[in-house]
Amino acid sequence: MRFVSLAIRNAKETYRDPLALGFLIAFPLLFMLLFGAALGGNSDLSYTIGVVDEDKTEISGQFINDVLSDIPILKIATFESDTQATESLKNSDIKAALVVPAGFGEEINKNWQNQDPDIILELVYDESDLTVSSQIISTINVAVRNFARVNIPVTIHTHHINVETEVSQIDFIAPGIIIFGLLIMVPTSARIMVHDKETGFMSRLLATPTYPWEFIAGYSASMLVVAIVQIIIFILLGMAFGMNIVGNIALAFLIFFLTAICSISIGMIVAALSKSENQAEPLCWIISMPLAVLSGVWFSREIMPGYIQFLGDIFPYSHAVSAARMVIIRGAEFSAVSNSIIILTIWAIVAFSLGIILFRLKMRA
Amino acid sequence: MDIRKGELLALLGPNGSGKTTTINMLCCLLKPTRGTARIMGFDINKEAMSVKNVIGVSPQETTLSERLTSLENLELIAKLRGIPPDKASRWSAALVEIMGLGERRKDQVRKFSGGMKRRLSIAMALIADPAIVFLDEPTLGLDPQARRALWEYIASLKGEKTILLTTHYMEEADFLSDNIAVMDAGKIAALGSSLDLKTRSMDKHTIIVHAWNITLKALDEIRGKYPEVKINGNSLSISGKELDFKETTDFIHSTGAVIRSAYYKEPSLEDAYLKITGKELTS
Repeated sequence: MRFVSLAIRNAKETYRDPLALGFLIAFPLLFMLLFGAALGGNSDLSYTIGVVDEDKTEISGQFINDVLSDIPILKIATFESDTQATESLKNSDIKAALVVPAGFGEEINKNWQNQDPDIILELVYDESDLTVSSQIISTINVAVRNFARVNIPVTIHTHHINVETEVSQIDFIAPGIIIFGLLIMVPTSARIMVHDKETGFMSRLLATPTYPWEFIAGYSASMLVVAIVQIIIFILLGMAFGMNIVGNIALAFLIFFLTAICSISIGMIVAALSKSENQAEPLCWIISMPLAVLSGVWFSREIMPGYIQFLGDIFPYSHAVSAARMVIIRGAEFSAVSNSIIILTIWAIVAFSLGIILFRLKMRA
Repeated sequence: MDIRKGELLALLGPNGSGKTTTINMLCCLLKPTRGTARIMGFDINKEAMSVKNVIGVSPQETTLSERLTSLENLELIAKLRGIPPDKASRWSAALVEIMGLGERRKDQVRKFSGGMKRRLSIAMALIADPAIVFLDEPTLGLDPQARRALWEYIASLKGEKTILLTTHYMEEADFLSDNIAVMDAGKIAALGSSLDLKTRSMDKHTIIVHAWNITLKALDEIRGKYPEVKINGNSLSISGKELDFKETTDFIHSTGAVIRSAYYKEPSLEDAYLKITGKELTS
C-alpha cells in the first residue's frame, strides 16, 4: 500500500522535527494548561443569579430549589418580580436574572408526557462580562435541558441533579480547547505537503505511479496518528485539571476523531491550492482562527447574534464543540449527538474528497 | 526528436532555455500546451501512469526527505514504485553501497554534503531499475572532484539505461553524451553527436604554434601572409579557411622563429554552441 509508505515517511518527518512536533502539541497544550490552571481545580468561585418564579408550581419550585440551587458555581437569590431582579443586576448584586415564566411547569410536564413542549426562560445577563455570562447561560441551559428530559420525575430526579452538580468551568472550557487544538491541525496538516511542494520533493513523488487518493491518504494518515495522540493527551490533561467526563468517553473520542479528520482534510485542500508555505500559512490561519471564534471554543455561542450562530453552524466545529460538551458535561448518549456526528462525518467525507479532486487537478499543472 | 534505447542524450542550454520544462513534460509533471511525446510507446498525455512505471527521475533540486536516512529515502521511492518491501530493502542497501554512502546509511540526509545528496538523488532515480532515467542538472553546484566522480558513475550506466540528461556545462555534455540537443528559447536549435556539432560549426581551421624568437619583423611577415593571427606570449594562433599545416609551419620557421610545438586546434562544443545559437553559454 503506497499510502502507508507515504504516511510512515510523513510521520517520521514530523516526529524527527522537534520544532514541528513541538508546535503541533505544545501550542494547544499551552492553552489547555493556561485554562486548566486558571479554571480547573477546586475553585470556590461562584456566581449569584436572581430567580423570579412566575410559574409558582411544584415543578418550577423543584427546578429552582433542587436543580439550580445544587449547581456549585451558582448562588440563587429569589426575587418577586423581574423589575427587582433587573435592578439588582444593574447594581451588580447579581450576575444574571432568570425569570421562570408562568406555564413553565406545564410545558415541562408536557415533555414528560411525550408531548412537544415550548419551554421558554427569560434570562437577563451582564454582557460586559462575556466569559461569566456565557458560563451562566451554558450552565442554566444544560440544567433546563436535563430537567426537561426527565420522563419519570421521582426516579430520575436524583440522577440529573447529580449530573448537574458535576458541572465546573473546566468542564465547559476543556472540550472547546480540545476542538481548538484540532483546529490548529489545519495549518500543521497543510505544512508537510506544502513543504514538499516548495522543496521539490513532491515532484519526485509525483513522478512515481502513485494515485492522488494515495497521496492525500498518505499525508492525512500520518496526521491522524498525531491527532489521536493529541486527543489522548488533552483528555488526560483535562481530567488532571478536574474535567469530569460524565458521558461515554469513546463517544467523546469519536467526536474529536471526526473533527480531526475534518481539520486534516481542510489542511489538504489548502495544501493542494497553495504553491508555497508563504501562501499556505496565512490561508490556514485565516480559516482556523475565525472558525475558532464562530464555533464557540472560547465562549458559549448562545451569546452570539443569530446570523453569527448560523455562520458557525455551516462549519463542522460548532457541531463538534456542542456535541463534545453535551457528552462531557451532560452525559448525552449517541442518539442525542447523532445529528452532530452525521454533520461531522459528511464534512469529513466531502472535505477529504475535495482534497483529492483539487490535488488531482493541481498535480499536473 | 527520437532517443534510441540505451542512448544518453544531453539537453544543453542556458538557464531558462526549457530543459527542465521538457523533462517535466516527459515525466508527466507538466501538461504540454500542445503536441505530445511517447515513452516506450506510452503517450505522456494519455498514459501518464504507464509512463511513470518505466521512468526514474532525479530532479534539478536535490530533493530528498531530509529527516529520513539514505536507506529510508530509497525504500520510500522503491515502495511507491510498487517494489515489494523485502526487495525494496535489499535493493536500497545495495544501491547505498554502490553510491558510496554505506558508511552514512543511518544518518539523516540533512547532514549529508552536496555531493552525497546528489549521489543519493541519482540513486533514487535508479532504485526501481527503470528503463529510462531523467537526470536534471545532476552535477549542479558540485565541486570539480565530486562532479568528475559522478560523471564516471553516469558514464557506467550508458548502454544499460536510456538517459536524458540536462546540463548547462559544455564539458559535461561533451564527456557523457552520445547525442546533444542544443536548446535555445524553448526550441531545439541543433541535434547530433558532440563531434557532429563541432564539425558543423567548423568554417575555418586554427593552428596553434608555440615558438621562440618571434621578432616584430617575423610577426609582420606572418601577418602579411595570414589575415587572422593572434599572439599571446610565445603562442601564435593562425586561422584561415584553407590552412595547410606543413606549409604554415614551414613559413613560420622561415621567418627565423624557433618552433617548439604546433598543432591543429580542435573545434570546441563552446564554439559549436556559439555558432548555433549566436550566444555564449554562461552559467
